[in-house]
Amino acid sequence: MTTIAIAVPMRGRLNGLRLGEYLLLAFFGLVMGLPILFLLAGSFNVAAPGKEAVLGIANWVRAFTDPGTLNALWMSFLISITHLIPGMLLSIVMAWLIARTDMPGGNLIEFLCWFAYFVPDFPLVLAWILLLDPNFGALNTVAGALAFIEAPLFNPYSFWGIVWVHLSTGGVWFKVMLLTPVFRRLGASLEEAARVSGADAFTTLRRVTIPLLMPMVLAISALSFIRGLESFNTELLLGSPVGIYVYATKIYDYTRHEPSAFGEATALGSVFLFVLVILSYFYRRHLRGKRFTVVTGQGYSTLHVKLGKWRYAAFGGCLLYVVVMMALPLAFLLLGSVMRRYGFFSFKAPFTLAHWQNLFADPLFLVSFKNSLIIAVATAVGSIAIYSTVGYLLASRKARHSAWLEMLCWLPWVVPGILMSLGLLWVFLATPARALLYGSVWGIALALIIKESPVCTQAFKAAFLQLGTDLEEAARVSGASWSYMFRKILLPLVAPIAATVGLLSFGGALTSVGTPVLLYSAQSRPLAILLMEYSFTGEVERAAALGLFMTVAVSVMMLIGRKIGLKLVGA
Amino acid sequence: MAEPVLKFSEVTKRFGDYAAVNGVSFELQPGEFFTLLGPSGCGKSTTLRLAAGLESPDEGEILLNGVPIASPKRGLFVPPDKRRMGMVFQSYAIWPHMTVFENVAFPLRVRGEAAASMRKKVGDALEIVGLTGFEQRGATELSGGQQQRVALARALVYTPTLLLLDEPLSNLDAKLREQMRTELHALQQRLKLTVLYVTHDQTEAMTLSDRIAVVRQGTLEQIGSPVEIYERPATPFVGNFLGRTVTLDGKVRKRGGATEIEIAEQTFRLDENRGDGFAEGAAVRVLSRPEDIEILPPEQSAVNSLKGRVTAVAYLGERFEYTVNVGGYSLLLAASKRQRYAVGAEVCVALDPNHLMLLPLGS
Repeated sequence: MTTIAIAVPMRGRLNGLRLGEYLLLAFFGLVMGLPILFLLAGSFNVAAPGKEAVLGIANWVRAFTDPGTLNALWMSFLISITHLIPGMLLSIVMAWLIARTDMPGGNLIEFLCWFAYFVPDFPLVLAWILLLDPNFGALNTVAGALAFIEAPLFNPYSFWGIVWVHLSTGGVWFKVMLLTPVFRRLGASLEEAARVSGADAFTTLRRVTIPLLMPMVLAISALSFIRGLESFNTELLLGSPVGIYVYATKIYDYTRHEPSAFGEATALGSVFLFVLVILSYFYRRHLRGKRFTVVTGQGYSTLHVKLGKWRYAAFGGCLLYVVVMMALPLAFLLLGSVMRRYGFFSFKAPFTLAHWQNLFADPLFLVSFKNSLIIAVATAVGSIAIYSTVGYLLASRKARHSAWLEMLCWLPWVVPGILMSLGLLWVFLATPARALLYGSVWGIALALIIKESPVCTQAFKAAFLQLGTDLEEAARVSGASWSYMFRKILLPLVAPIAATVGLLSFGGALTSVGTPVLLYSAQSRPLAILLMEYSFTGEVERAAALGLFMTVAVSVMMLIGRKIGLKLVGA
Repeated sequence: MAEPVLKFSEVTKRFGDYAAVNGVSFELQPGEFFTLLGPSGCGKSTTLRLAAGLESPDEGEILLNGVPIASPKRGLFVPPDKRRMGMVFQSYAIWPHMTVFENVAFPLRVRGEAAASMRKKVGDALEIVGLTGFEQRGATELSGGQQQRVALARALVYTPTLLLLDEPLSNLDAKLREQMRTELHALQQRLKLTVLYVTHDQTEAMTLSDRIAVVRQGTLEQIGSPVEIYERPATPFVGNFLGRTVTLDGKVRKRGGATEIEIAEQTFRLDENRGDGFAEGAAVRVLSRPEDIEILPPEQSAVNSLKGRVTAVAYLGERFEYTVNVGGYSLLLAASKRQRYAVGAEVCVALDPNHLMLLPLGS
């Protein structure tokens, strides 16, 4: 009767998985739910942080009688929508050219967009300052040399300056990356059926292609719009100096007040949270019905539109956009970092490596570099460990409360980094976690791990779903315990995804400004914050050097990651 | 009778409110090839997964060699890795990051088998499935048929008490499927394996099985040998699922000791005792296999035949297929090439009274 000896009570067996699930739910509840509750509660607390709480609505009154607050909210919407529209149109055209026409070099353009997406935005904003600053901006200098132009021609410290820079940082690249596969997957047969039914190319585009793409285009627009609302870096560098505030920089501004106005910050954050929750509710509801209509087509499209002579013009246009929006600013970042005094070409020896030497000799740089490495490694390891488990639970349908788990994982996607940090800051201050997490690298790493949640969870979930359950069950029936199976079967098979998730989190942790900006202290300052400080204190050249250093570091990592990922997938 | 290898008694498995497996009971004798046959979604795969321990039952009891391995009422469940079963998945589930050798060696490795005997056993298993020399191949470099063999070798390598096969042939092309079916049958006979087999393909079920259980909506409709199931289906579902049936509705007429069935003002006589249990005038449905109905010239009419008219003829190469109208019912019947009838010809169709199924028609 040996079989009985190895039989386990039914409830006990299920408890292993259940326990993991409840631990994760508790963890997410603590680090995601609690900050938001604290944020809401904090907005009604009129006492200073750390003092005995006093209930009141004074924060809300003050936040909303300050004309700057409503203005900041309005500005967030305005900026987000203004760069969304041209960005979306450009992305659709580029994705269509890459996927559905005979434009040469489509793969190159697609790769460049992929690469540009990973270039961190803070250094890019800095580069645009080097190009467009009214006093020393290179383009203004060039324009000023032309007699008929009243200098300065460009001013980045303006609404349109911010919109322009947004088109360079992220916006278009991200959308092209998402849209190109959609255009590719759109079943050729759907279009061919329209052609055979007697529709000409234009009618097919109008009656079949566009309606089929519309749900996806709307979904990506909504996603971009919400991401646009949480933008912080560009507005901090370009808006704050001239009094243009979006709500994220406004919150940052409140926390910098002397005495600090945390109450107002939390009130503003709460309002925004409310707006975002409504928006994302409609977004998800919209998605639910239509998500699958686009990608049901079978097989890749072979129907390429012939552009004739225009295909070279199309390629030239795409390349020009990439050069102007990405290569040009990066080139000036390099130039800025090696000039004795940026913009002064008339010096006897205008070029020097002194800024690089100074940067690497700066003790602040060394400490920040170490901090950044610790934070990035902790974020990458933490993200892989936590989100592989969450992804497994969600994909295997073994979670009893998967809806809650999924909802909590989506939360940081809706809640902007700075708001999450504000809530976390509140939690760190008011709970025993203070000793370990307040102002420490671990607190920053935790915030960054939370920030990565939606992307990482989806990546792992998709990977596990794709694997299916057979490989896992085959190992179990073959006699492997769950943990042996997990180590020998699942982990090696999701290694490419784990590597990708690790690199993405690492890169994100290295370059994020909005998340650590409220959480760092002198001991835990990361490189990105150092970059911000250099920019504010007018050390343009050293900032350029640091910005370029970070850009190169992230780019090299992403290229290596792409190579590893492809190799692992190919093997 | 020997102790059954596997015994299901009143096993139920629900997903939400839906009972995928509903009070299922059956036994597998040692060396028996037992097939669960049914349409997709009928619960046959869930039944297999219950046996493997990949699902846990909500009610009932599952015993392996007389020892309970899953019993909710006792709060007992043996996890799949402790059941010593071998399983071949429909997708084969060959681990793509391992070689053929590593795949087949996996069940031995988890049991801490020594390297030398592991090589020997893997070699033997690969020889059985005809893959000697493929040890170092990557699993992804194999064709579908080869993957299938690897999966089989992996399931056999540690001589499991029970072999579970979940539609193992359904992903192969027709020719290969036939070949693998023959090989599987020979293998099972040679190694005296006890097999629980799941399929929706009646040919596989008929040719491989000692016994078949026809599954419908989570319940077993009928258990029996292939001959029993085919010749004497217990329900219309079983009859229709295995091969075609011809259906005629009529009324029971008692003539002295004999029973006749009246269909559209014609009658044919049943064998003795066949009509017992049916009252005079009762509405009945008559089911027959089309191959049990013979088309004869009208002058050969007999007590067991009905008159009809040919309405369509199709030439299928090896035979003719006639559509015969009998009292408003269209019967699609095959006939050998020796008989030739034109469209419109009067014929008579002779039913085989031994292979008829009579069902009372609902009131």
